[in-house]
Amino acid sequence: MTDLLTPFHYDYMVKAILVSGLIGGVCAFLSCFITLKGWSLMGDALSHAVVPGVSLAWLLGLPFSVGAFVAGILAALSMGWVKNHSRLREDAVIGVVFTSFFALGLLLLSLFPSNLNLRTIIFGNILAISDPDILQVLIISAVSILALGMKWRDLLLYCFDEVHARSLGLNTRFLHFLLLALLSATAVAALQTVGACLVVAMLVTPGATAYLLTDRFSKMLVIATATGATCGVLGAYASYFLNGSTGGCIVVLQTLVFLVALVLAPKHGLLSARTQRREAAMS
Amino acid sequence: MPDTTPPLSIAVADVTVAYTNGHIALRDASFTLDAGTICALVGVNGSGKSTLFKAIMGFLRPAKGSVRIAGLSVEAARKRKLVAYVPQSEEVDWTFPVSVWDVVMMGRYGHMGFMRIPRAEDKRIAQECLERVGMGDFKDRQIGELSGGQKKRVFLARAMAQKGRIMLLDEPFTGVDVQTESAIIELLRTLREVGHIILVSTHNLGSVPEFCDQVVLVNRTVLAFGPTDQVFTEDNLSRAFGGVLRQFHFEQSTIQEHDGRTVKLLTDDERPLVFGKDGHLEYTDRHGREKLVKEREKEVGE
Repeated sequence: MTDLLTPFHYDYMVKAILVSGLIGGVCAFLSCFITLKGWSLMGDALSHAVVPGVSLAWLLGLPFSVGAFVAGILAALSMGWVKNHSRLREDAVIGVVFTSFFALGLLLLSLFPSNLNLRTIIFGNILAISDPDILQVLIISAVSILALGMKWRDLLLYCFDEVHARSLGLNTRFLHFLLLALLSATAVAALQTVGACLVVAMLVTPGATAYLLTDRFSKMLVIATATGATCGVLGAYASYFLNGSTGGCIVVLQTLVFLVALVLAPKHGLLSARTQRREAAMS
Repeated sequence: MPDTTPPLSIAVADVTVAYTNGHIALRDASFTLDAGTICALVGVNGSGKSTLFKAIMGFLRPAKGSVRIAGLSVEAARKRKLVAYVPQSEEVDWTFPVSVWDVVMMGRYGHMGFMRIPRAEDKRIAQECLERVGMGDFKDRQIGELSGGQKKRVFLARAMAQKGRIMLLDEPFTGVDVQTESAIIELLRTLREVGHIILVSTHNLGSVPEFCDQVVLVNRTVLAFGPTDQVFTEDNLSRAFGGVLRQFHFEQSTIQEHDGRTVKLLTDDERPLVFGKDGHLEYTDRHGREKLVKEREKEVGE
């Protein structure tokens, strides 16, 4: 019994568990919009595109999140620009732009080693998170939650029916930018927990899971946030006993929950679909 | 409170719309509509129907010419929430996790505050609009679980909840059953009676004379506009559609007195447009056209 409490004796473990839970929850909240807007690939792209910003921020003596955020926004803007000014399809544009940013980041990090080494950026290292970095994560989370809490209805309408949103006089350009900014900001926050490679999992999987479980957006938000936060906490906690990568534990846990939902979801699960097919064939 | 809105109208004057790739979607298009009309916007795919819609909603800035709504610029009209839009069914993501109630409530967003929290007034209007389209019992359904006709009615309720007095409908009868089609038409007529302008984009020619009092014919420009019986002529339609329309010509010999002078036409899905021998329009729905029927009877008597 006391064995189960050992992680809590270590300061760094308690911090890791709490921060992972917070980031898991915030990313999951946003993931509902990302999955419904069809921006999953965009999330992956931005989480890689923030890397050069980390290096440049170190060189300029700025907090790493500022540099990463700016790089993310720049990447999103260049994708938009290339897409509007060329005949390329969106997936090709995303592929070209994010790999360029990521490659630039790798180059910069190898030329100018910073406080965050390459391994940390790509695979994350929540156990070694410093107090100033925790503060950055807290600020990003607070701002994101505030923005989402106030504007989620507008963002929902924007994701659902952009034309209608515009005809009502909503500023869709602003909403588009807001969603991009939130995506970049949370990608930056999640970078330290799970690393650039797995950020997209935090930004997609909980939303995808919740989407299978409900037909109501408000419930989807609750389910996604709850699973995201729980998986963050439990994943970090379990990583102590498994002695494995924290990011890996969190994302594997999220995937397990997703698989359960995929098979067992009451209305949209594989099993239920099979039963419905059978019943339809019988009648 | 005095009503400060000027009389309702749409005035499209000499509008040319060019896309960034240089493609001209519409050239020198002009027409005007006054309050209390159901007007059809008729043309083939790619003739500029949706471009005209976008110009009226202010999504596209014309390279030349102007669109005025109730004497205002499109931006000012949008601020007053004058224009409501009912999208084509194909444009909507039906798997989206929103209920019928959520969708109708979205129509009220323009009237709500910063956080879009509905007040009692918004709820009352949404409920009333749902009931008017006969969907009051479906509030909690996810939108994908509705039939084609029900889906259409929900989006109609959303447009009504918006309280825009100009309504743009994009292909409202695609995938809709006959009962719903008549129910929608009935509803549009009541809106016309209270002075709304309803602009319906459609390629379903047969239904146009049945419920539209005016027509705008488009093919990269406005070919003709005005009252249906003047604009909807074989000549104009062949200009709008080129050779695209299929024609069946019944020789008089096939329609004998002993048939009671009736023939039966079957088509897939869409209502056929039927012209009489001298090119006048034939109507199946004679309600409200008693005068016309009498006139034509007189001709027979002569």
